[in-house]
Amino acid sequence: MRKIGVIYSGNESHYRTFHEPKFNQYITKLIYHPDFLETDIEDLDVLIVPSQLNYKLLLASETKIHAFAEKGGIIVAFGPQPWNWLPAQKWEERPTNFWWWLDKEASSGLVLQNPTHPLFNDYLTLAECTWHQHGVFWPPEHSDILISTEDGGAVMYVDSQSSEGTWIITTLDPDFHFGSYFMPATERFFEGFFPYLAYGTI
Amino acid sequence: MSISFSMLKLDPGHAFGVNGRMQKDTGDEARIIEQYDFAQEDLNEVDVLIIPNFIDQEFLYRQQEKIAAFLAKKKIVVYCGHLFREWLPGCGPFMPQLIRNYKDYEVFPTEQSVIFEGVTTADMTFKKGVAGFFARGYHHAPAHAEVLLTFANGKPVTYVDRCSTNGTILVHAGRDLLGYADENKSTDLIRPQFLAWLEAEVQALKEDGEQ
Repeated sequence: MRKIGVIYSGNESHYRTFHEPKFNQYITKLIYHPDFLETDIEDLDVLIVPSQLNYKLLLASETKIHAFAEKGGIIVAFGPQPWNWLPAQKWEERPTNFWWWLDKEASSGLVLQNPTHPLFNDYLTLAECTWHQHGVFWPPEHSDILISTEDGGAVMYVDSQSSEGTWIITTLDPDFHFGSYFMPATERFFEGFFPYLAYGTI
Repeated sequence: MSISFSMLKLDPGHAFGVNGRMQKDTGDEARIIEQYDFAQEDLNEVDVLIIPNFIDQEFLYRQQEKIAAFLAKKKIVVYCGHLFREWLPGCGPFMPQLIRNYKDYEVFPTEQSVIFEGVTTADMTFKKGVAGFFARGYHHAPAHAEVLLTFANGKPVTYVDRCSTNGTILVHAGRDLLGYADENKSTDLIRPQFLAWLEAEVQALKEDGEQ
């Protein structure tokens, strides 16, 4: 099993999500964000950078996170990113439609761009990645877009060329929604995503 | 709205806080500081401390003596969120509401509530037909607490505690009460009624202190 570390903000949703036993059992190190710079992360294979982190601490963490990627680490970033810290980051914030499924002929607007990717083989379906988004990314050309909006904006993409490691970047924020007892799909997302990070082909 | 008291709000510095992305506090009544600056902040001139969800509760737990000392001086602490560390006197940990049906999300003002007066259960419970935006759980209210809002099963969504400390504690198991405005619903009443309640509460605590 890969060794997974998670940055923990001390907020209520992160507390619930990352202490939930079925997810916590995949976490080798839960790193309180104010302690991140002093914490040894060299033994980790995967570092999860959740959504809604304090921006000052996040920007102070940027160099260490990128250094982890340069040593071949796998980095997962969740949620909207109004601050630039991802490789070649191009984030576009969009209004959130919390109610899309109430529309006639409802469509989430999400498209599975790479259905043969290992993540969608026994781990996740598009339905388990579907609730709402807070924006999209316009990633570098070399990226592998896994899920997009209908106009091609990336909701989840993998960038394995900007560094020696692998960046799995998604505008989805299941850590916030599961942690705040909201959106049941987010629980199913983690039930697939943690095992994928632990054992899947990345 | 102008107010006659001093309010300090802690900012968790998270993505949803940018431009009021998730929920906008339309006013500028509160002075806002970054959460980690709270440790150094002088609270002498502050009457009301507003602590929103997304706050780092591990940090606040380490600040519990400062919060208790503030309340001991007959001040007000408002906490909106899900508590999981006991940094707030009298307040037990958050419990999620047991949901078997969307009606379990319905919240009801009690007779004691002036903050939620005229606010309908439907407007609080639903947003464009989706239930559960307002509150998804509750905290244990201490004995003698004044309960303002409950679920149908009586669990307190919002309560006021004037007994655990010399000051007043308001706990709301949801989002910032100052953020309810401009939706053309009866929930728009919450913000002005909450500010008026705070004003009266500050006054009452000051008068009580002068006696």
